[in-house]
Amino acid sequence: MRNQDAVKTLKTTHTHKPYRYIMARRLIFPLYQYGNPQLRVFRPNWFLTLVRPGKEQPPDTVQFRVPLEMTKYDVRNYLQKIYEVPVAAVRTRIQFGSNKKRNHLNQRVKRPDYKVAYVQLAQEQTFEFPNIFPEKDAKATEGSVEEMQEKFMEDEKQRQKPDPRRGGVTEWFGL
Amino acid sequence: MAATSAGRIAGLCRQFQRCVSISPSFKLQQTEYCSSRCVSLSNRLSSFSPAVNSAQYRLFHTSQSRKGLEEFFDPPENWGETTVKSGAPWTAKQLRAKSNEDLHKLWYVLLKEKNMLLTTEQESKRQRLQMPGPERLKKVERSMTRLDSAVQEREGALRLLLTGQEKGRPGEWRRNVFGHVYWYRFREHPIPWHLNSRYRRKRFFTPEFVEPHMRLRLEKRIRSKVRKAQLEKQKEEKQAELFPKASAQTA
Repeated sequence: MRNQDAVKTLKTTHTHKPYRYIMARRLIFPLYQYGNPQLRVFRPNWFLTLVRPGKEQPPDTVQFRVPLEMTKYDVRNYLQKIYEVPVAAVRTRIQFGSNKKRNHLNQRVKRPDYKVAYVQLAQEQTFEFPNIFPEKDAKATEGSVEEMQEKFMEDEKQRQKPDPRRGGVTEWFGL
Repeated sequence: MAATSAGRIAGLCRQFQRCVSISPSFKLQQTEYCSSRCVSLSNRLSSFSPAVNSAQYRLFHTSQSRKGLEEFFDPPENWGETTVKSGAPWTAKQLRAKSNEDLHKLWYVLLKEKNMLLTTEQESKRQRLQMPGPERLKKVERSMTRLDSAVQEREGALRLLLTGQEKGRPGEWRRNVFGHVYWYRFREHPIPWHLNSRYRRKRFFTPEFVEPHMRLRLEKRIRSKVRKAQLEKQKEEKQAELFPKASAQTA
């Protein structure tokens, strides 16, 4: 495995720590005072979502939605250790989810807040968000309901077309 | 590769099984939810298990997946599909049979899979199209919670054996201002409690003027309990009237 194994080995020997190093979200990390060992998070509970940027971003920038508790250092370590992505810089901002919309009971509905991280890749790498939903011409299987439906729709469309003998002239003109 | 995706996943499961050398009583069924990233995982595991023959892996590419950001997306053959074949989630029973190292590695496999699914879900919302295989998200989530519970069980058992402590985080029963008794869990502070002004403002005792309110609360609770019991009794009496025991016919 990778050399960063030392960071991610599971703690099997018991130590008198008051907290368990499991979930990273909603966990109170131990207090740090000078001389304490580096905090290690095993089995992080943080999930990153790669999103397509709304505004045009430079080619080396990747946009993520991260949990609110994650910091820039957390994002960098996460990507470098788990995905082996070389990260040069991380910038974050918190997006406020609107509380303005109202439901049928006139109660305000809150959309959750989320943190956006703009990650710049190192080593002059570029990333372009791919098209995950390409057009696929799926032919329906023989004798299935979908095939019959498709045939019916095609017949309907054929019926709706105007008389080809009129040469493109609409019915509005009397003759 | 001429093998179908399902056959490939089954092959991967078998590879995983061989690498991980599980006890013979436990069978890794083909319906197991192994992500396609198991290729790299099984290859990494193969570097540890010395008894494995390298010829078995010639069918699959032996290089570790180096494309970091590609792991945030499905393999390209799933793009544009409406359904994606996936197996059953991991059960707690299966996870308890695994070693700590395997659980640790599996956690990261599941984590990467979940990241991929969240990415696909967000993109499908953006493009206003259906996400391929939305049930996979729930499966992965359940697998992760079960994995966590299995690890917590092991940690709890170890802690109990070594120290006799039941809970990892110390606490005690305390009474708050409203008279409620609850389990207060300790936090770490850099200063002692008698110097912590904010902690001192939080009173862990009940003043005497709260006692009448406590009494009223208790009376309300008792009254509602009695009312519920009376309602149940009335219902049963009505049922007994409609369907008396004397006229019961035995077949």
